[in-house]
Amino acid sequence: MKTLNEQISDVIEQEPVAVFMKGTPQMIMCGNSHRALQALHAAGAPITAVDILPDPRIRQELSSISGWPTIPQVFVRGELIGGADITEELASSGELQQKLDDALGADRAQDVKVVALQLA
Amino acid sequence: MDAATIRELLEAAFPGAASVDVEDRTGGGDHFQVTVVSTAFDGLSLIDQHRRVNDALASPLADGSIHELRIRTKGTK
Repeated sequence: MKTLNEQISDVIEQEPVAVFMKGTPQMIMCGNSHRALQALHAAGAPITAVDILPDPRIRQELSSISGWPTIPQVFVRGELIGGADITEELASSGELQQKLDDALGADRAQDVKVVALQLA
Repeated sequence: MDAATIRELLEAAFPGAASVDVEDRTGGGDHFQVTVVSTAFDGLSLIDQHRRVNDALASPLADGSIHELRIRTKGTK
């Protein structure tokens, strides 16, 4: 089994848009995760969500990889975009949609899925 | 943690900032909105601006005394 660190890195590198959040898009457990998802939806993003709540190690490993202390964290094609504030700000200025168009194409799928990490 | 302490940390990290504003959003001393306008942000991307604020507040973020942090930053240009 891959380590938690490897699993998180895989999601960041392989998913078009990865969102590490509290809860899932079906059951959001934090207002800031909600804000980030709303902004991503508005910009027409596909979303691969990872719930960080099942184990505190998820958040520790994630922050050690990203250097970002808070949740949520949004990545587009492996690049950290930011947390809820930046995602909202970029969505309202139109930059987020532009970034998604550039990275994923304008006719991208907008699927929402959830990845559960395997905990040892 | 009170808003004044957060403000002191930010003022120490961004000396001469055009403005530093800290709001305790819930009154509970752990949900904060911080707004910083400083020349330190000139020419930096939004994410690097936020990284600077996160760095300034690294200790209260790490020990959990800040539970939620909302950040707004602006350069002066």
